[in-house]
Amino acid sequence: MERTSVGFMKKSLFALMGAAALMGCGREVVRGANDPSIDARALSTGLDKDDVQRALAETLNHLRSAPVMNEWRLMHPSPNVAIFPFQNNTSEHIDSMLDALLGEAETWLVDTGAVQVISRDRQTEMIREIEGQRHAVFNPANAAKYGKQLGAKYFLTGKVSGNDERSDDMRRVQYMLFLQVIEVETSAIKWQKKTYITKAVK
Amino acid sequence: MAEKDVHHESRQVIAVNSVGLVRFARKYVGLLVLGPSLVLAGCGGHTARTAKMRSALDAADGPRAIKALNDELEVTSGADLPRNIKGDNALLILDRASIQQSLSEFGLSKRDFETADKAIDMLDLSRNAGDSIGEYVFSSSSGRYQAPPYEKLMINTLNMLNYLEQSDLNGARIEARRLSVMHTYYRNSLGHLDNPVVGLGSMLAGYTFEKSGNVDEALRYYDEALACPGFDSLKSFVAPLLSMGSYRSPRFGDVPARERPDSGKTGKTSAANPSGQGASASALPSSAGNAESNATGEVLVVVGHGRVPHKIANRIPIGLALTYFASALSPNDVAAANRLAAQGLVTWINFPSLAPATGSLGYPSITLDGAQVTSDQAVDVDNEVRREWKNVEGKVVVSAITRLVARTAAGKGIEAAAGRDNVLGIVLSLGAQATLTVLDTPDTRSWETLPARIDVARLKLPIGNHKIVVSARGWQRSQDVEVTKGSWRVVSLMALR
Repeated sequence: MERTSVGFMKKSLFALMGAAALMGCGREVVRGANDPSIDARALSTGLDKDDVQRALAETLNHLRSAPVMNEWRLMHPSPNVAIFPFQNNTSEHIDSMLDALLGEAETWLVDTGAVQVISRDRQTEMIREIEGQRHAVFNPANAAKYGKQLGAKYFLTGKVSGNDERSDDMRRVQYMLFLQVIEVETSAIKWQKKTYITKAVK
Repeated sequence: MAEKDVHHESRQVIAVNSVGLVRFARKYVGLLVLGPSLVLAGCGGHTARTAKMRSALDAADGPRAIKALNDELEVTSGADLPRNIKGDNALLILDRASIQQSLSEFGLSKRDFETADKAIDMLDLSRNAGDSIGEYVFSSSSGRYQAPPYEKLMINTLNMLNYLEQSDLNGARIEARRLSVMHTYYRNSLGHLDNPVVGLGSMLAGYTFEKSGNVDEALRYYDEALACPGFDSLKSFVAPLLSMGSYRSPRFGDVPARERPDSGKTGKTSAANPSGQGASASALPSSAGNAESNATGEVLVVVGHGRVPHKIANRIPIGLALTYFASALSPNDVAAANRLAAQGLVTWINFPSLAPATGSLGYPSITLDGAQVTSDQAVDVDNEVRREWKNVEGKVVVSAITRLVARTAAGKGIEAAAGRDNVLGIVLSLGAQATLTVLDTPDTRSWETLPARIDVARLKLPIGNHKIVVSARGWQRSQDVEVTKGSWRVVSLMALR
């Protein structure tokens, strides 16, 4: 009886130590398509796929019925439209997601068939020519100059501002995201739509 | 009868089990006590994890320091991130970011700074009562890491420098805004009004917005920088901006709107002031709004040198600790600690303190086309680390003494629960106290690769090719710079030795 009891305790002790050693192992790789909760969960105060999709759903639906879209549909030949990077006026490094957002908007524009979308590779070359090799980044002040050199009549761009606040137990970022269509010749804003996104860590 | 037998048998089982437990405890008490000790043997806290890194940096061997950190993070290359960045690994990533910056690997440094920035903020936000209880009873290193203000502010400052090195004003502006968020939080929520490390960050943020063409935002940041010591020469750069912006401050009051600073791009460092400390850097006007700037370009040189003191673990007997810190303890804790000391047991308390400084002597050297350039000391981070530590040192030692008292009380509690003179109770009590003592690791966590001091020099150069050589503490960077009309460039060296 004694042997059984002590033996049981020995086994329990070693099992406990083994379990402790293995704690934290056994991670798995999962696919978002099989588990939608992965995409739904917010992991940081940056922008993610869910935010981009929500923002685009609101803004592009609005553009679909905007007067500028009707103008484009009636133009022959179809006008050239350039896509210029977002101005990121926030405190988050979200430029890659903003690029992704513009990429989605570009795809949407191509699919409408109402405009000719100028390749973004050409735009990068143009920016390098105008801004120089060392500072080859998009300068919003020169957007009209880029547009003219690319032969674009309009450009689609955007800007995002953010209000970032921190307290003892929370960090919150409120994004205000604007998507715009600007006429190159006049710099007139032909269409604009804003959308709000709030992210927080608490 | 059957029922009786059952009762009898069960009593027998209990009796047998008691004997077995005592035998088991006697046999395995070594395991109970030594188990945690063996697991934690050599576990000297965070500084033990970074010892190889510090040795490599002392030998000015940055790549070896990166490798030492990669080994700790269990990754094969400096381009990899560990699977887990939630715990103290965030601090190691922060160290790696600094070293990558010192090796001019600005892309990797940016990635590491940004990863560590978010992870450390997350740790800070997720601290809860459990952490405090753990620190109170168990170990000061058991809670989540809470970065002191100067560390949080320096993350964004140094990462801004990475972006400026790569001429990425957009990225630098983002870091400037992140710095402002933390600065505002510390100032408004925690009442920290005068953190001197803000000066360097504000100066770089002002430079970023000035070069972005946002004069008012630049002036606002320059105003913050001027509130800190070490930025007198900045006034000469602010003067040309005043006519272009509307932001005003009493600190700009004595700056004539059309002031033109001294001419001459360089000057030999005087023998009386070999470091150039307090002397104006090559005080030349900025490019903004200055017709002269169209014929010149500008270079901002930033030199970090030395390392802030890291923390080391100390163990001193309770009696000695009482001599030093009794006045800071509650009367009950003093009485309990005195009882322990009176028993004659050599009972030790574990607490961290600051190691001696590295690189406190020596000044950086900056030469432009072979001529010496003077620089301003923008921030003395070492001093800030010591000031901050002085504020919390008493509390840290007191909590270490409190933990010792709590450990003893926990042991006595177990002994009392088991009954007077119960062998098992004594064994378990000793085991519990020994285990808690072994596990009481002083909290030696800190950002160890933060430069101790940072100097800046802002130079205006004629169009053409120039050579800038920056050296400090045996580290050197030589940079060819092609200056075109109105161009700007940031050149940095972090000599973490």
